[in-house]
Amino acid sequence: MVLTGRAGILAAAGVVFVALVMPSWAGVGVVVAAVLVVCLVDILLAGSPRRLQFSREGDNAVRLGEQAMVNLLITNPGRRVRGLLRDAWPPSAGVLDPPHKLDLPSGERRRLTTHLLPTRRGDRHAFRVTVRSIGPLGFAGRQGSHQVAWTVRALPPFKSRKHLPSRLARLRELDGRTALLVRGQGTEFDSLRDYVPGDDVRSIDWRATARRGNVVLRTWRPERDRQVVIVIDSGRLSAGRVGDAPRLDHAMDAALLLAALATRAGDRVSLLACDSAVRADVRRPAPEDVLPSFVNALANVEAELVQTDFRIVVSQVLERLRQRSLVVLLTGLDPAVIEESLLPVIGPLLRRHVVLLASVADPRLTELEAARGDLLDVYGAASAARTRLDRDRLTATLTRAGATVVDEPPDHIAPALADTYLALKKAGRL
Amino acid sequence: MSTPVGRSVGESWRALRVPLLVTGFIVLAAIVVLIATSARTSGQFSPDSTESTGARALAALLEDHNVDVHGTESLNDAVQAGGGSALLIGPGGSLDDGDWRRIAQAQWSHVILIRPGRRALEALAPGVQPTGTSLASRSRQPGCELPAAVKAGTVTVNGPTYSAPEGATTCYGDGVNNTVVRLEVGDRLVDVIGTPGSFMNTRLAEDGNAALALNLLGTHRDLTWYLPQWESDYPDSSGEGSAQLIPPDVRYIAWALAFAVLVVAIWRGRRLGPVVAEQLPVIVHAAETTEGRARLYRRSRARDRAASALRESALGQLQEAHGIPRRADPSAVVATVAARTGRDPAMLYELLYGLPPLTDAALMSLSQELDVLTQEVRHP
Repeated sequence: MVLTGRAGILAAAGVVFVALVMPSWAGVGVVVAAVLVVCLVDILLAGSPRRLQFSREGDNAVRLGEQAMVNLLITNPGRRVRGLLRDAWPPSAGVLDPPHKLDLPSGERRRLTTHLLPTRRGDRHAFRVTVRSIGPLGFAGRQGSHQVAWTVRALPPFKSRKHLPSRLARLRELDGRTALLVRGQGTEFDSLRDYVPGDDVRSIDWRATARRGNVVLRTWRPERDRQVVIVIDSGRLSAGRVGDAPRLDHAMDAALLLAALATRAGDRVSLLACDSAVRADVRRPAPEDVLPSFVNALANVEAELVQTDFRIVVSQVLERLRQRSLVVLLTGLDPAVIEESLLPVIGPLLRRHVVLLASVADPRLTELEAARGDLLDVYGAASAARTRLDRDRLTATLTRAGATVVDEPPDHIAPALADTYLALKKAGRL
Repeated sequence: MSTPVGRSVGESWRALRVPLLVTGFIVLAAIVVLIATSARTSGQFSPDSTESTGARALAALLEDHNVDVHGTESLNDAVQAGGGSALLIGPGGSLDDGDWRRIAQAQWSHVILIRPGRRALEALAPGVQPTGTSLASRSRQPGCELPAAVKAGTVTVNGPTYSAPEGATTCYGDGVNNTVVRLEVGDRLVDVIGTPGSFMNTRLAEDGNAALALNLLGTHRDLTWYLPQWESDYPDSSGEGSAQLIPPDVRYIAWALAFAVLVVAIWRGRRLGPVVAEQLPVIVHAAETTEGRARLYRRSRARDRAASALRESALGQLQEAHGIPRRADPSAVVATVAARTGRDPAMLYELLYGLPPLTDAALMSLSQELDVLTQEVRHP
């Protein structure tokens, strides 16, 4: 049951009536009875929200930061329903529309569109559709809710897409689709061609030259069809916020750029998100399927406040890789955690594969270290300096152990990781 | 595709009718029990009360001896005397002087005051004063010539005592502090009894208590048993309070207004569906631990640790800028930096490898000097 403003006005008019016309118990009774009767009649005449039938259609997934549209189809088999409809979603689904006005004559069907702008990654489930049906007199009405299931998946935004074209250009240079193909652009033998003046004499294949009679040059290209495994640590090291998003989100962004780049370079990319258990696992998808499958797998991964078990990471990676491959581990460079739980178990990984360890650095630490003002600033600077020194020491330890470390602030981590990948490829380390 | 949420009207009625029925039954039973028991528990010295402080036993005894006991709590009954009958005024209550005077003006031929207050005594028994002392509970001899008391013999007495004027009969006391005082006011007989405890249900059977009560109260065929209440009622002056100043119409307008407010509250208060709850991720800033450590440094005045971190950081920058190996010994570092910047080597050594600062001010100046040094390196 709901009342409207008109019922309030009627009751207020009743006060005037009692004051001027019938100042007695009878007057009060007349007013109460009048309001009750009018409201009751209206409620009885209002169309039933319970009898409405709903169905949905529209977007199932949307990139974070973009708008999704979900249509609601309403069929009315009963009396005319007039009033308001609220399509309720959780707050982070970001419903943009105010409650819809609804006027649905008997036997008809309407389509209402709800616009969503999700504010957070992950699945958003529609909550309820609530209909308030006001009676023909406009004094009172009925209200009822329906469960109309629908899920919109907010996918990771992949903001670092803008860096992809420039890295692809660099890759093409490497790949030999540009004019010059000489030694140093890769280690995999590609083909033989005739010498043209200006080519590096060190690349001349003397045996072939002897066979053919004219000078022949060997060309090289970067390795293809290598395995790349991207491991995202979804434990507590990734939970900390850097800027306006958790480390995990920055790591996902970097992982997506790397995956796109590596796929274009002809490598096979797999994905693993892991804390105390495996949260997402994508194994060698088809090249055209890499980004969609990664984005889908990562959509619902949230940072858990638990210590990541790196033994799981190592065993999972070792299990799925035969040949020498690139293992990219996206985590946080926390000296205590890394020294205690990663360093003791990373040995087999370092022996068999190329390990690239990437971490999102916190620009706030740089700010802290540069701050000079009162005493607390100086202590803050000292504390930040100590944190940085510890990280530097850890980086040195990891580098000595044979890993490559990338430690960059959020807006640089994705391109820096891509550049490091290209550098490794160029150096033929894969 | 869609399922309605919540119950329909019929479903809610089916779900609610059993609880409603049970609740209604409980309320009904409670009302019945209250009505059935209320008459017997109407307070201290009540002729209907069967509790230990009631006087049901005494009333029953009087009935047995052909005395018609008429219990009342209404002042109207106490001021309208049947000719030649007795009035018992129980303890407690709060009547004002006017009420007591109206009782005194009524045509009672015998008034028994049980533990009266000062106002009651002024109006009904002039000259009798409370003495302020109380007698401890024990059996006492009458010590007077009042026939009612002499016949009853020893009586268990406790309670306040009264002093009597000339010509009054005083019993169960020492002549100054008395528990029972009889005096004649005009042609009316007035008994002042300070010991209601003797006549309550628990004590009535002891000593000669019952006999004394019968002798004092059984003088007339009709006994009006009046228990004064805490609020005196004014049968003919109810409009004298503040209620009189409000025009009667306002009350109806107020009720109509209250109804209007209720309607508006229902209108505004009904939400279009429930609030949607959502589990949100925890927000932890990554720099939280570093900031926390800074506050810890400050609280424990860890100037040595702070200074060593700052020096190490500055040294790292200097080594990088001047190409000094990481493991170079202090003197080599100082010599190189002094040569490049033209600073005094001793002071440079003190700055980079000196003792930890002893005061906060020293720490501040150390950090500033290190800043200047590294700035010079960056922008020579």
